[in-house]
Parts: sequence; structure tokens; C-alpha cells
Amino acid sequence: MRTRQFGPVPTAAATTAAAILAALAVLLTGCGSSSGAAAPASTAPYAALAASPGCAQLRTEHPDLVGKKLTNAINPHTPGYESISVTDPTRYEGFDIDLGEAIGGCLGFTVGYLPVSFETLLPTLQSGQANFVISDIYATRERAASADFLTYSKVFDGVLVAKGNPKHLTGIDDSLCGTTTALNKGFVEVPLVAAQSAKCTAEGHPAAQSSLFDNNSDCVQAILSGRADSYINDVNTVNRFVKDQPDKLDRATAVTLPYSIGIAVPKGDTAVRAAFTGALTQVQQSGLQATLSKKWQLDESAIESPSLVTAS
Amino acid sequence: MDSFLHYLSMPYLLAGIGVTLQATALGFFGGFLLGTLLAGMALSRNRAVAGAARAYSVIFRGTPLVLQLVFVFTALPHAGIVLGPVLAAGVALAANEATFFAEILRSSVRGVDRGQTDAARALGLRPRRVLRHIVGPQAGRAAIPAIGGEAVSTMKNSALASIIAVPELTLRSNQLASATFDYFSIFFASGVLYLLLTGAITGVQLVVERALDLDRLGRRRSAQPAPPGAEPAAVPPAATPPPPPPVRVRPNRVALTVAGAHKSFGDHEVLRGVDLELREGEVVALLGPSGSGKSTLLRLINHLETLDAGSISFDGLRVGYSDGGRPLPERLVAQQRVAAGVGMVFQHFNLFAHLSAARNVAAAPRWVHGEPKARASAEADRLLAKVGLAARAHALPRQLSGGQQQRVGIARALAGRPKVLLLDEPTSALDPELVREVLEVIRSLAVDEGLTMLIATHQLRFAREVADRVVFMADGVVLEQGPAAQVLDSPQNPVAARFLRALHTMEV
Repeated sequence: MRTRQFGPVPTAAATTAAAILAALAVLLTGCGSSSGAAAPASTAPYAALAASPGCAQLRTEHPDLVGKKLTNAINPHTPGYESISVTDPTRYEGFDIDLGEAIGGCLGFTVGYLPVSFETLLPTLQSGQANFVISDIYATRERAASADFLTYSKVFDGVLVAKGNPKHLTGIDDSLCGTTTALNKGFVEVPLVAAQSAKCTAEGHPAAQSSLFDNNSDCVQAILSGRADSYINDVNTVNRFVKDQPDKLDRATAVTLPYSIGIAVPKGDTAVRAAFTGALTQVQQSGLQATLSKKWQLDESAIESPSLVTAS
Repeated sequence: MDSFLHYLSMPYLLAGIGVTLQATALGFFGGFLLGTLLAGMALSRNRAVAGAARAYSVIFRGTPLVLQLVFVFTALPHAGIVLGPVLAAGVALAANEATFFAEILRSSVRGVDRGQTDAARALGLRPRRVLRHIVGPQAGRAAIPAIGGEAVSTMKNSALASIIAVPELTLRSNQLASATFDYFSIFFASGVLYLLLTGAITGVQLVVERALDLDRLGRRRSAQPAPPGAEPAAVPPAATPPPPPPVRVRPNRVALTVAGAHKSFGDHEVLRGVDLELREGEVVALLGPSGSGKSTLLRLINHLETLDAGSISFDGLRVGYSDGGRPLPERLVAQQRVAAGVGMVFQHFNLFAHLSAARNVAAAPRWVHGEPKARASAEADRLLAKVGLAARAHALPRQLSGGQQQRVGIARALAGRPKVLLLDEPTSALDPELVREVLEVIRSLAVDEGLTMLIATHQLRFAREVADRVVFMADGVVLEQGPAAQVLDSPQNPVAARFLRALHTMEV
């Protein structure tokens, strides 16, 4: 006969450890009840917008959004567009945050936030964990396979380099050959640099290397530590980094990319899409978008009236 | 330095600790529960159940935690399961950790000496009790360091949950670094906070290890005053003077019948048709060379092993089988062992290593006969005094000499109130100077108590003094049996004669 074997049981030891850990958890969570999803800013500043006949009309047309709390998935690592507030880290701030809340004010919903990694933004929207995404995301055809985009601004990119531009970079061109560019995982610049790299090697130059990171601050650290020669992103973001560390960083040049920044909404949800388009139009027509751009020092912002980017 | 201290005490980051602890606790305790289940499944004899556990392990141990986190957070909602970020992280962490817990627990259970499970079964403990009182506590102790390691690992892994919006320490550090550009101060502060947390876990682990340290427990118990009536004597009272050879009226009621017992292990045929009968009050010595099948026969008698063919019965009761002859589950076999009144003493003692001598002896009264603690303890004290070990009641097995351990083993078997006691070479593992103290105890059982005993032994002198009959086995069959003096002095079988002569030469 095979000797009988027995499964394990939790021991007194494990139980003790469990009790201590559980007590610790309860204790500490009690102190830290504020979740990372920051409280939405008051919609009061957008009272005038909300009271406008256009917004009133939209609320009548889309009553199911009124009084709701919708979730905005963001990658809050881009000061000026979206980041936590330095003075109150439990709040998010920036142009995109204000824009989302202005749209919410117009349509009658409040906004909650889900901070995820950049490449998880659209999967989070698709899963229904979030209702929309306003996170400085470029509306490309590829991304439109996962969500519908409503554009609100043209894209200008800047090339961030070390002070004095020691590698004499001039954009996404042959000057990148033999250098390393720090990029965010999932950003549109990644395939552009890859294409340039192929061009470099075809012409007999060394490749244009890319180093991929999780967020802007990691990319900037790559330049500061000498691991990368450049970092390419939205020009306002680049300007902000230069302004913050003018003795160490420079902007080499601005690059025009054939993209627009867009609001991502669930694919094929025409009602929500129509509501957001209407509200965005109201925001732009009221001059609020220009005001917000100024407030957040997005000097090189080019407002674009809403257009739909879809996969088809 | 100033900004480092600022971040170290920043409420925003400290609040992240709470979330880190939540995610860690969900992952750790969820993983432990699921891992316990998986370990149980992996140890199951049912192939489908064990295979399911293995498949689970392959998947969840073989894929990156990052993918699992994103899967739970963004893919499960498509199936209608929407979990908030912290809960999603807890589920993913638990699902991942479970595979590691399962392996830790499985190896800890396997690490428990099989002899101890045999001893517990032989006492008549049911499987659940064996698990709870014998295997569980020892496996648990062995697993504590690895479990502590898993707790630390779960906490560090919880940082990965930052990618699915869990507002824990790492996510907050990242966001803060992005907003302030104060990269290094923030991550240093965050690192120190993690160190404090993981340090606390290590502290808990060490406290638990210390609290359960057997040697420490043993020392504390030994420091207690010996119970009243304890004698310092290492040798049992029956030792002097040597008793005369037992004189007995020949008993007639049959206590045990073995008929045509066959047993093979793989290709090796260990027993090839053994017949044996034991009458009430009779002491039978089982002699024979190593490998002759003596131990296997004893293990078959109380169904620690199953028969291939033949039958064994205690006054009509066949341990291990229903009245219709069908094999019974271990739970019912345990009850049959108690009903048959069969006890066993092992060659290597097989004492429960985590229990004091007294608690070893109290095992059967408490966990088989369900006696209250105080009565079981009194019974244990009485039996330990009987084998001359009252003074060592609180000692752990590892703190006792071999002879003392075997006397505890005998007391433990007696506490099960056996009608038939099987002794499997009780002195073979002992140093020569310790043999006598054990043999004296057995002799007193035979003489004073009239206990029915079947003793596998190599001690000829002892067999002559104590046994009514001697059964000589070789190569899986009984070659000769009869009254002790007759078999020992004038064996008819040439193999028996040669073996006995060799043994006799060694003893003289």
C-alpha cells in the first residue's frame, strides 16, 4: 500500500503571522484612506459653460450622463497636461484634467481618475474600467483600432537634448544616426525613430537606437545620466522640462508630426461620442480651451476643431 | 537631505503604504489559502486532481506577473468580472503567489518523517487528526522561513500593481517624481519606506520562529518542576532482581490469525505465504535474518501495508477490510485498529518530534480515545513512571537517549490500550549499553501485565526468557516454530540452526 499522504494545514505560526500582518494592514489603511484616484476639482469654474444654452441642450439630448461620475484613465507623468499637484498630491492637475472636467461640467457628470501606465490606457478603456481617456494621447489610425478619438489639438513635437545640443540633433532625420533616443513605451515616436534607424543603416550610417521607458521622468533621467542623447515628445512637455532644468537641458528643434491629440472614447459608442463632440465644441467656442492652454503654458498649442478618428 | 526627509514623512507617500499593505495582504493571505488548496491537490492520489494543480502552476508560475495584473484588470471585465484596482492587484498577486506557497507547503509536508505518520496511524489516529496534530505542526514550522520570504516577495511584487492604477507606494513615488522632477530624493525615500516594511515582515517572521522554536519550548518545559512521584531512575524499577522465567497456563483463546500472507514490493516477493497464530497473553518472538520479512509481517498485521493475498484477523476482525472483504478508507481503518486493540513499537522509535515525551504518550488518550486533557496527561505521567521516565516527561525526543526514546515509544503504544502489541526490533537501533533498559521494560509487560506480544528481535537470551514461543522466518516463509526452548536449543531446520548458532556466538 502506498503510504497515505496528507495536505498541509495552516499552522499556529502562520496564523500568528497572519493576525499581526492583518492588524498592521488595518492600522495603516486607516491612516491612508485617501485613494490615489484623486478627488475631482470643483466644477464651479465651469459654471458659465455649463449654463450655456449649448450645454443645456446637450444635457437634454444625453440625460444618461447627467449626475454620473465618469472615469478618466490617465498616465499622469506629463506636467502641464496631467500630473499630480505638487501642493496637494491627492489631486491631479493640468490642461487635460481641466478639459475633461469642463466637458463633464457641460454634460453634467463629475470625473474620477484611474492612473495607469501609458500602454494600459486604451486596454483600460476597452475593459470598461474607464469611460474615456484624455491623456495627451495622439489619435493615430493604429490606436483607433482600440478606441474612437475626438481630436482637439494639433501635434508639435520637440527634441529634448542635453545643454548645448552636443550631438547637433536637428529632428527625426539623419542627425539621429548613431545616437540613442529615450522614448516612452507605446508612444508614436517609437516607430518614427525605428523607421529613421532603418534609413540610417540603409545609408551605411550607424543605427538610431531607442531606449524605451515607462514615463517622461524616466526618459529625462536617461538624458541627465548620459544614457540617451535625446527625448522626443510633445513640444510643450519638452519646453517644460527645459524650463525646469535650464542649466542641464535644451530643446534642439520642433518637429511637426501629422497627428492630432485626441480624446479616446469607447469604440462605436456613438451616443457618448456625440455628447463629447458637442461638449468639446462648446468648450472651444466659448474660448475656454484657449484660456486653459494659456493657464498651463501650452504656448505652442494649435487648437483643432473636433474631428473623428476611427479605424475604418 | 531636507527633501529626502520631507518625502519620507509626506502623508501622500505614507498613505501609499496603506495601499501597499492592502495589496500585499490580499496577495499573501489569498495566495496562502489558494496555495494550501493547490498543495492538497498536488499531493492527492487522484491523477486528475493532481494534474489540475500542476497545470495551474505551469500557467501562473510560468507567466510574468505584469501580464497577470493587466489580465485581471483589463481582460476579466470583458468576461463581466470587474474588479477595482486594489482587488484586481490582490487577485493577480494571490493567483501568482499561490503556486509558490503550494510548492513550499508540499515540500514541507513531504519533509515530515514518514515514520511519524506511520506511528500516528498505528495508534489509531484518523487522517484528519494525523494532519492536524502530527504533520501540520511540523510542516508549518519547517515552512515558516520560506513563508516569510514569500511575504517579503509579495510586498515587493505589489509595486508592479502601479501599472494598473493601484495607488500604492511606487505609483505615488512615480507620479510625484514626474510632477516635481525631484527624482532621487523621492525614490530614496520610497526605498527606505519599503525597507521599513519588509524589515517589519522579517521581524514578524523571526518572532514567530522564536516563539515556535522547539528547543526553546523544550527548555522552558524542562525548567518546570518534575511532577510528584517522579523518580530520577533511568532504569525502570523492574530491572532488579532479574525475574524468573515466566510460568504460564497455556492460553487458549486466539487473539490473532495470519493465514497465507503474501506481499511483494515491485518484483521483490517479501512474504511468500506466512501462517501464524497468536493466543491471548502469549508472547511470541519472531526471529530471522534481516530481509526475512519480519517487519513487513508486522506492518501487514496492523495494515500499515496492504496484503496481496491471504488474510489477517483479530478474533474475526480483518483490519483494513469491510465484512464483505472490501478495502476501507483510512478513516475507518483507524477505527478498526482501535477496535482490534493493536499497538506497535517501532525499530526507530518514530516519536513525534515536536511533542514532549508526555505529549507523545498522551497522543492516543487525547486524539484517539477523546479523553480530557487532564486525564490524558495523568495517564501519560503514569505510563512514563512505569517505564522509568517520569523525570523526563517534558523533554523532547531529540533530548532523550535512544533507550529513553524507545521507552517513551513503548509507553506511547501502551497508552493506546492495546490487546496485542507488535514490537518491530525494538532494540536494534540502540547502542549495546541501552538495550537492557528497553528489554527490562518489555519483560515487565510480559510478566506483570500478561500482554499479548509479537516481537521481532535478534536478542536470543531475551527471547528465551520472555517468549512462550519462537517463530523462525527466512525468505518470506516460516521455517520453524515452537516453544522457545525447543526452537532455540534444538532447531530442526538447518537454516534456522545455522542462524541461531551465529547469533548465539555473537551474544556470548
